[in-house]
Amino acid sequence: MSTKTKSYLPLKTTGQLRRTMEKHYLFARYHRWWGRPLKKPLAWVTSGAPVEILRVFGIYTVYPENYGAVCGTARASLPLCQEAENRGYVQDLCSYARSNLGAVFRPEIAPAGGLPAPDLLVACNNICGTVLKWYEVLARHYRVPLFIIDTPFVAGNGGPPAHAVDYVQGQLREMITGLEKLTGRRFSAASLERHLLLSWEVVELWREIRYLCRNRPSPLNIPDMFLHLAPIVVMRGTKGAVAYYRKLLAEVKERVQKGVAAVSGEKYRLLWDNIAIWPRLFGFFKTFSEKGACFVVDTYAGGWAVEIFPGEPLESVARIYTGIFLNQGIAYRVRDMVRLIEEFAVDGFVMHSNRSCKPYSLIQEEIRRRVTAATGVPGLLVEADMTDPRAYAEEQVRTRVQAFLEALQSR
Amino acid sequence: MNNWPRQVVGTRADELLAAAALPYSQWRDRFPGHRPFPYFCSYWPEELVMALGWEPVRVLPPAKVGTPARLPTYCCTVARGCLEEGEAGRLPFEAAGFAQSCDTMQCLSQIWRHAVAENSFTFVPPVDLGAAGALRYCAEELAALGRQLEQVSGRTLETGALARAIKLNNRLRKLLAKLEEMRPWLPSTLAAELERAAQIAPRAFSGEVLEAALPELERLFKGDEDLPRRYRRVVVSGAVLEGADLFGLLEELGARVVADDSCTGRRHFAGLVDEDGDPLEALAARCLRRPPCPCRHQGLDARLDYLLELARSKGAEAVILVLRKYCDPHAWDAVYLTEGLRGAGVPAYVLELEGASPGGQEKTRLQAFLECL
Ligand code: SF4
Ligand code: SF4
Repeated sequence: MSTKTKSYLPLKTTGQLRRTMEKHYLFARYHRWWGRPLKKPLAWVTSGAPVEILRVFGIYTVYPENYGAVCGTARASLPLCQEAENRGYVQDLCSYARSNLGAVFRPEIAPAGGLPAPDLLVACNNICGTVLKWYEVLARHYRVPLFIIDTPFVAGNGGPPAHAVDYVQGQLREMITGLEKLTGRRFSAASLERHLLLSWEVVELWREIRYLCRNRPSPLNIPDMFLHLAPIVVMRGTKGAVAYYRKLLAEVKERVQKGVAAVSGEKYRLLWDNIAIWPRLFGFFKTFSEKGACFVVDTYAGGWAVEIFPGEPLESVARIYTGIFLNQGIAYRVRDMVRLIEEFAVDGFVMHSNRSCKPYSLIQEEIRRRVTAATGVPGLLVEADMTDPRAYAEEQVRTRVQAFLEALQSR
Repeated sequence: MNNWPRQVVGTRADELLAAAALPYSQWRDRFPGHRPFPYFCSYWPEELVMALGWEPVRVLPPAKVGTPARLPTYCCTVARGCLEEGEAGRLPFEAAGFAQSCDTMQCLSQIWRHAVAENSFTFVPPVDLGAAGALRYCAEELAALGRQLEQVSGRTLETGALARAIKLNNRLRKLLAKLEEMRPWLPSTLAAELERAAQIAPRAFSGEVLEAALPELERLFKGDEDLPRRYRRVVVSGAVLEGADLFGLLEELGARVVADDSCTGRRHFAGLVDEDGDPLEALAARCLRRPPCPCRHQGLDARLDYLLELARSKGAEAVILVLRKYCDPHAWDAVYLTEGLRGAGVPAYVLELEGASPGGQEKTRLQAFLECL
């Protein structure tokens, strides 16, 4: 089949993905027409925030980080970043934040005119310290309420300590009171449970889809995971997300049954660490797929396959959102990678040293050493940026990747 | 080369400065009988380790920073410099204490545990200081940290010892506050070096020396009542300043630092711990009401209001925001602070530095800024 020889084999569900995401942004765009009359405020939310609580109040959520990725993929980030830089936000800051701020300051140069202005902001610092500063800027700019969920970093090995879970739970209660006031709606524990169940269902479906990549050949390559991650980020806790991932799962299962390979002639199975290099999503991975190297698993998209803790809903929300992988110490991240390498029979791993994202990246060299020591599997560090094209040195990256693949070949 | 003026040679202040200027590897020899406990961020609860028989020693990066193996180049020189020292074995200490602050420190603390000292501890104070339950969480986090430290120290954390440590540190904080008051007529480098030294030398020693040194300094430097008028009075704000070169340059350009709002300056020692009541709760309470740090949230305008008030109370003519390359929290704040300060009629200047020492270009720019005042 001719499609099989292509370096990238798109999923049929991609069409639906496009429609789903377009619908999401369309709803956001026209929110000002329907939001007020229906008393459904619009929130800008960080990707690791407990949105299920917002859903209880009928709040519509949009994700500046996802918008940053959209700008990156559309290769529209540079002028937006520069706009933020002109206003004093230095080039070393996270490029999602710079893109978003650029779009806030100059919507006329932003894809789709930027995001619609928020009625409230929700920042959860379980992914980084950047979001706190970024959302402070937004709160000063828009003069709308800012809700912060402070999830203490899990420095030890045993998961979030009890006093941290209590602390987060207390803040969630406080946020609920604030949202009751803001929306005029009463909180419903039953509704929260419903939304949580929808979220967990999506998380389970996502996990199942990922695990199908343990098959040889793998039915998916990493660009698939990155693209199809969007609904879990922006639509967690909704029926729409569940329907979407059911469909995706069915298609991936079908690929497995038919033995369809994401990368034809799969020779090497690789693991990816960090966010995608969005402007080079296909070009970068093509360098690998041309040599028969398929990224069968990654740590970033896997971040959404969180561990579920049953029990009292608020406690479970507090525990899950505090324990996400970016909020955990090195031992957790090393363990996770070693496990993935074993479970997915990985031959090598590539770490995107992402200048934008310090919590993800600064620790990678130490992780690389320890993972290789534990598994014997080699790892390559490639410096770039998830959206800012200025941080990507094409030739240098190509040479390093080629050398890495050659080294894999000679093993 | 030392940064402090000739007049202090042979005084008690000289003794403290000389002790703190030694490389970390000589710390034990200089202070025999003391068990050093290195720590990295001023949120680290010094009193806990003091009550367990250690001496807190602030770790600061060397003046020249190379490339440590485990951190990329797009990382601040504080983290890179410290790690380089650690990797090279020039910080021969048995443990280390980190306080969760920025993403960079978070990563460094994790690397440190595996690459430098296994007995590394991380204190995770609240980030949203006004959050519901922040005080209680902070006290419980201190108690949990105390239990971990007990295991390594082989001692029990006793309330009496903790209370004594709090008293000792409070005494030092009061002396440093007094030193900060002397800034208008004290060379800026000297004040900065003394504040830094008091974070490196044993606390009791620092307190004892400062007690004797402050009157000496008053005799040496006060007197010229007209002196403050001959200088441009500036406030400096920023992250860690491991050396006093910037202060020296400002003096050279005719400015005097009347307040040092850096992590190694007044932000480190401002605010006392309540000596009555439960010590852990008192430590937690201080943690929550310290001068605003960009890594924590105290409301949208807290740091601007604080700097405006500081500038006003010190009669400062300008605020210099020191921005270290790759330091995200300070880079974020620099934008709104500059706008806010200028909007309130206080000239503000963002000084971008690779480390803590300004070069020729920075000198020219600073000079131009100061001339415009
Ligand atoms: S710093 Fe990293 S985790 Fe934080 S918003 Fe940017 S990319 Fe996301
Ligand atoms: S606050 Fe800034 S200078 Fe200090 S460790 Fe963090 S990034 Fe580096």
